[in-house]
Amino acid sequence: MAKRVMVVDDSRIQEVQIRKMLEGSGYEVVCYCRNGEEALAQYDDVRPDVVTMDIIMPGMDGLETAQAILEEYPEAKIVMVSSLAYDDTFEEANAIGAKAFLDKPFDEEKLLAALDQALSG
Amino acid sequence: MDKAIPEEKLREDLDRIVREVTQASAGIALTRGEAAPGNHICTVHIGFRQGFRSSLSMRADAALFARLAQSMLQEEHITAQDLEDVAKEYFNVLCGHIATALYKATHISARFSVPSFHWGSYSPKNHAEQFIIRYSSGRNEAAELVHHVPVPGAGEGSDGTQSAQF
Repeated sequence: MAKRVMVVDDSRIQEVQIRKMLEGSGYEVVCYCRNGEEALAQYDDVRPDVVTMDIIMPGMDGLETAQAILEEYPEAKIVMVSSLAYDDTFEEANAIGAKAFLDKPFDEEKLLAALDQALSG
Repeated sequence: MDKAIPEEKLREDLDRIVREVTQASAGIALTRGEAAPGNHICTVHIGFRQGFRSSLSMRADAALFARLAQSMLQEEHITAQDLEDVAKEYFNVLCGHIATALYKATHISARFSVPSFHWGSYSPKNHAEQFIIRYSSGRNEAAELVHHVPVPGAGEGSDGTQSAQF
């Protein structure tokens, strides 16, 4: 049975890319949320195996959203995704309990490695 | 940005990042070119909201953005909306890498606006073009990265907000 992935990103392009990269991989995108508020509202219903969370989003950003999800669901496995790679962003992502960090742009190999890392962590 | 980092170093960093991100995003190899885009131009633009006062645009032939979209979406047939969304996502990622490089060079954390997309050529209000780096894709497609700086005395960011000061 495929592992269930929730994609949180304000760009629909990321969702399309991730969905295609994961075809036949043992992972499947089951939910797409355009912002943090939507992800928080849907998380309990979806209960994904792993979440890819964009950091820079309008409104509630990815770090705030990940923190809110992890406070409510400490077992959540979250991969932070961004093209902004400041040292303090990595530190903050680690501190709130994110399991992996994925630098945009990424290919299928890097995506699968990050998802595997999140699930094994 | 123009004062925090020497212009030559800034040009080098921007050029390297444009090539690397374009190659990694869509497998398209850009080389330095002479010709300006001129065939159904599109522009994506961002303004720095924190850390720097300048803004960046990428103007390119629509055919180049269309090829970016085909590659990034792995679809032969793309719509105008696909082209716009891909151009914004591509430039968003590009500017994220630029902000990271600037942070490493200056230790200034930059934040930037959501990219805007324009059919045709676009220049932000109250900004002048400081320099342009031109590219060719090798398929008769051209692009140019434009670094805009505020016009002295205008005091406004590209979106009408007060720009951060060094």
